[in-house]
Amino acid sequence: MTLAEAEVCKDYIIKDVHIEDEDLSAFLFRLGCYAGENITVISRKNKNCVVAIKDARYNIDNHLAEAIIV
Amino acid sequence: MRIAMAGNPNSGKTTVYNAVTGRMERVGNWAGVTIEKKEFPIKKEYYSGREELIAVDLPGAYSMSPYTSEESITSKYIKDEKPDVIINITDATNLRRSLFLTTQLLELGIPVVVALNKSDINESKKNKIDIEKLSVLLGCPVVKTVATENKGLKEMMEAAVSLFGKEQKAPYSEKGVNLSDKKSVEEADRKRFEFVDSIVSKVETRTVLTKEINKGDYIDAVLTNPVGGLVIFAGVMFLVFWISQAKVGPFLADTLVGWIETFQEYIGSLMAGSSPFLYALVVDGIIGGVGAVIGFLPLIMVMFFLIALLEDCGYMSRAAVVLDPIFKKVGLSGKSVIPFVIGTGCSIPAIMACRTIRNERERRSTAVLASFMPCGAKLPVIALFAGAFFSDETWVGPLMYFVGIALIFFGALLINAVTGYKNRKSFFIIELPEYKVPSLKVAFLSMLNRGWAYIVKAATIILVCNTAVQLMQSFTWSFDVVEVAGDSILASIAHPFAYLLIPIVGVLSWQLAAAAITGLIAKENVVGTLAVTFVGLQNLIDTEEFALMEGAGEDVAAVFAITKIAALAYLMFNLYTPPCFAAIGAMNSELRSKKWLWGAIGLQMGTGYTIGYLVYQIGTLVTTGSFGPGFVGGLIAVLVFAGVIIYLINNTKKKMASEYTLNTGTL
Repeated sequence: MTLAEAEVCKDYIIKDVHIEDEDLSAFLFRLGCYAGENITVISRKNKNCVVAIKDARYNIDNHLAEAIIV
Repeated sequence: MRIAMAGNPNSGKTTVYNAVTGRMERVGNWAGVTIEKKEFPIKKEYYSGREELIAVDLPGAYSMSPYTSEESITSKYIKDEKPDVIINITDATNLRRSLFLTTQLLELGIPVVVALNKSDINESKKNKIDIEKLSVLLGCPVVKTVATENKGLKEMMEAAVSLFGKEQKAPYSEKGVNLSDKKSVEEADRKRFEFVDSIVSKVETRTVLTKEINKGDYIDAVLTNPVGGLVIFAGVMFLVFWISQAKVGPFLADTLVGWIETFQEYIGSLMAGSSPFLYALVVDGIIGGVGAVIGFLPLIMVMFFLIALLEDCGYMSRAAVVLDPIFKKVGLSGKSVIPFVIGTGCSIPAIMACRTIRNERERRSTAVLASFMPCGAKLPVIALFAGAFFSDETWVGPLMYFVGIALIFFGALLINAVTGYKNRKSFFIIELPEYKVPSLKVAFLSMLNRGWAYIVKAATIILVCNTAVQLMQSFTWSFDVVEVAGDSILASIAHPFAYLLIPIVGVLSWQLAAAAITGLIAKENVVGTLAVTFVGLQNLIDTEEFALMEGAGEDVAAVFAITKIAALAYLMFNLYTPPCFAAIGAMNSELRSKKWLWGAIGLQMGTGYTIGYLVYQIGTLVTTGSFGPGFVGGLIAVLVFAGVIIYLINNTKKKMASEYTLNTGTL
C-alpha cells in the first residue's frame, strides 16, 4: 500500500519510492526516504501529512505520500 | 587560512559564522536560508596566533553529490578551492542524517572538525551522545556547540586551528563506484547510510524516540490546521503590520521626525545668509528629501524586528504548509509564502529567497510576483498619500497589502496561462524544524543591520537622486536659473511621460511623472521627488507624513491638484510597477532567463498601469458620473497590454495542442 493509506503512529518500512523526477528521488534519498528505511506517519490532514524519517519531521502532501510504497 | 562551514540545511552554519565573525547575515529557522557563499575574517578572540583566519559560510547540503544549485556551490567550493580546515556543523538532534555528509567530507583529505550543534535542544530531549567515542570512530575532533548561545565555539575554533596542515584519514571510503551508473551510486549511498547508522547506534542513546508524539506536534496540529491555520496566519501578519505601522512604529517615528526637523531648522538658520538656490538645495532638497525617507525608519525597523522573530521561531515552514493547498491551485508552492513575507521588508532578499523552491516554474513565478507585496520602501509613499488625501484613514495601508496579495494570485494565474501550465503533479515536502523561543538578540541585531542598510540607501542613492532632481528642476538646458518651473531640465524630460499618466491622474503633471520615474530607481524617491518638485509642498510635508500639520493635508492635496481617486490610482500605479532597479537586478539573477525577465517587467508595468487606470476611470465614473480625462488613450494602452497577453496565451495553447497531437500521434 502507499503511505497515504498507512496508519498513524505505526512504523512502516519503505518498500519503494515511485518518483520519476530523479532529482527529487535523490533528494528524498539524502533525507533517508528510500527502500529499506523506517517511516512513521505522525499525523494526517486532508491534503497532507507529517512523517518522521530518521530523526526529523517533514510535512509532505498526498501526492508524495501516494508515491511512497510501504 | 580559510575555514569552511559545511553541513545540512538549518544546522546553524550561519549562526556559527555570525558569532565568530561578528557579521549579521540572515538567519532563520528553516532549511535553505543561506543561498550563497560568504566569507569574512574570524574575530581574534576565537583563536591565538598571528595568521588571519577567514571563515567561509556555505549553503546547506545533504551530500557532496550536488543536486540543487546551493548544494553545488558548497561541493564545488570544497572540492575546487580546498579550504584549510572544514568545520562540519551537524544537527545533534539528527545525527543519522547529518553524518552522511560528514563521512563524505572526511574522505577529501582536508582536516575536519565536527561541531554537534543544537546540543541544548538535544539534551532537552534527553538524548545522549558519547562524543569521545564518536571522535574516535570518525577520526576527527568532535565538539558540542550551542551556536545561539555562543557555547563551545572557542573550543571548536581551537580544535580547527590545531589541525592546520594535517592530513585527514577517512573512517569510511567508497571505492570503485561507477558514478555514471545510478544504481551503483545508490547502492554506495545505501552502504554509507548503513555505516552512519552503525556509528550512531554506538554513540547515541535516546530515551524519547523521534516517532513519538511530542509537544511540537500539538502546536503543529493547531498551526497547520487547514482552516484554523489560515486564520492564525492572517492574524499573525495583521499583528506584525498593526504593531509596526499603527502602534510602536509611528510613536517612534514622531520622535525621530522631531529631531530631523530641529536639525533642518538649525542648518536653515546657519544658511540664512546664503543664496536662495543653495538654501533650497541643502535645506529642502537634501535634508528635506532624505529626511522624508529617514523619518520612516522606525516603522521599517519595528517591522524587520517582528519579521525576524517570525523567521527565528520556526513558524515559516508551518505557514508554508497551511498555504500550500491554496498556492498550489494557482501554480505556486507553499514555500512561496516565505518570499512574500520577507517581501514586506524588502523585495531583494525576497526574490533571492525563492531559491528554496525546487520546481523551476513555481520558483520563477514567485520571483516575478514577490514584489507585488508592498516593501518597506513603499511605506513612505503609502503614508504620504494616506496623509495628504485621506486624512490618515486606517484603511489605506491595509488595502494596499490586500490588493498586493490579490495581484499575486491574479498574476500567478496569468503566468500559468502564458507559460502553458499543465496541471502536473508538483510534490511538496518541507522539513518541520523544532520550535524555539525566538532570540530577541538575533531579532534586534537583524533589525539594526537592515535598518542601517536603509539609512545607507537614503544617504547614497536617495541623496544623489534628490540632489539631481533639485538641480535639474533649478536649471534650464542652457544652465540658467529657472524662472518658470515648467522650463527646467527635469520638466522637459518628464513632460513626455506625463502624457502617459493622464489616464491615471487626470491631469498633465510633469512633477508626478518625474516622481514615478525616479521611483523606479528606488521607491522612496517618489516621496523625495514630490517634496522637491511641488513648489511649496516641502513646507507642508515637513519631512514626512506624520508631521503633516493639523489640517495641512488638504493643502497638500490642493498643491497636487488631483482628485482623491486620482491620488489613489497614482499611489497604486507606483506600488505595483517594478519596485526598483536593484530588485530588477535580483530578478535577473534568479530567473536566469531574459525571456522571463522581460516578461516580468512587462507584467509589472502592465499591471501597475492597468490597475491605476481602472481605479481612476471607474472611480471617477462612480463619483462624477462620467469618465475622467485620457479615458480613450488609457483604454488603448490597456487593450494593447491585454492583447499581448491574449496573443501569448493563444500561442501557448496552439503549441500545447500541437504537442498533444504529436504525442498522441507517436503512440
